[in-house]
Amino acid sequence: MNGLEIKDVVVDFGSFRLDAALSVPRGCVTGLVGRNGAGKSTLIKAIMRQAEIASGSILYNDTPFYGNETEVLRKIACVFDTPHFSTALKPKRVVKIVKGMYPAFDGELYDGLMKKFGLPGDKPVKTFSTGMKRKFGLILALCQKPEILLLDEPTAGIDPYDRGVVIDLIQQFMLDEGHTVLFSTHITEDLDKIADYIAFMQNGKILLSEEKESLCESYRLVQAPEISEEMKKGAIGVQKSMFGYTFLTKQKEVRGEDVLVKTPTVEEIFVHLLGEGER
Amino acid sequence: MHIHLSLQSGPLYEQIEYQIRAQIFSGELRAGEALPSIRTLARELKIGVITAKRAYDDLIAEGFLYAVQGKGVFVSEKREDDLINGKTERLKEQLRAARRFALENGVSSEQFVEIFKEIMEGTDERS
Repeated sequence: MNGLEIKDVVVDFGSFRLDAALSVPRGCVTGLVGRNGAGKSTLIKAIMRQAEIASGSILYNDTPFYGNETEVLRKIACVFDTPHFSTALKPKRVVKIVKGMYPAFDGELYDGLMKKFGLPGDKPVKTFSTGMKRKFGLILALCQKPEILLLDEPTAGIDPYDRGVVIDLIQQFMLDEGHTVLFSTHITEDLDKIADYIAFMQNGKILLSEEKESLCESYRLVQAPEISEEMKKGAIGVQKSMFGYTFLTKQKEVRGEDVLVKTPTVEEIFVHLLGEGER
Repeated sequence: MHIHLSLQSGPLYEQIEYQIRAQIFSGELRAGEALPSIRTLARELKIGVITAKRAYDDLIAEGFLYAVQGKGVFVSEKREDDLINGKTERLKEQLRAARRFALENGVSSEQFVEIFKEIMEGTDERS
């Protein structure tokens, strides 16, 4: 069962074209990974129906958008990297507006979380630090009681403590197995840990999408002082340094003098796979 | 139950499995004791739901844990051969670590078996 079924969705900005197909499994956390400009934010906007979809369709917990617009928009909530309301407003004003839009809004949960994280309700949002803004955005999204939560760079630019808070809120949301999370990221180790699935994006397309453990185990990261002809076959994203070569490979056995082989992290796959052909 | 995870010590689910097994053998986890749900375990350890599920599934398949539909996951009754099993398990863990080391250092499976045989036959020690 999929929380989101993105079927060949095309968004055409002229200079940039998104053409994406992706299944986001229900009950799981999926990390959308890619470099700046890969189309991660555009895909999230398309899912939120905030970017015009030229062709293709999206199913939200098996429900199509057309004919069910209100229902679908109540199922999903998103935390964008910058707030979608005037930051001159104070949280207590913002929450009134949001409450009007979402009948299911949980006011009690809102009060509890604002208090827990020490966020003032009577100061303009623009006076908040980046971490406070991010937490406020996430609280607003969670209190809408969505089934599908989308997050655009949820931990970018915030300190490790707040990052921990954000991750815990995501995992708390995931205690309900009917819930689905899709977040975009440049990768940080802690996000790497909580994601169940990883989807790589490049040039507006989904390059690959796989369960995280099997993705990592399908590759090998090789460090070798010299690169042999044998190794060159199937070597991905070869990087040369003073001390030798580092590359990704799908070869089962890599042999040679002083060759180090290990299972790569998502970050290492990112660097070698998406950096291919650039060095 | 307590579990420590390190990103440097092999797959996370294996680390969880090993530590739960060890705590069953040591008696720290008793038969019938309830374990946290998959989603709670994932949240507490800050890992993915699938990683947590894989650890429980493996331990259920091995008979260390059992699941009751709608109730949760529990520690299985101890069996007579548990002591032997415990030692076997710890030995397996050591061998898995050795195998991982071998693979990561360019020693093929065949060579690994060869080395193991040499050790068993006592022909590995040069003197």
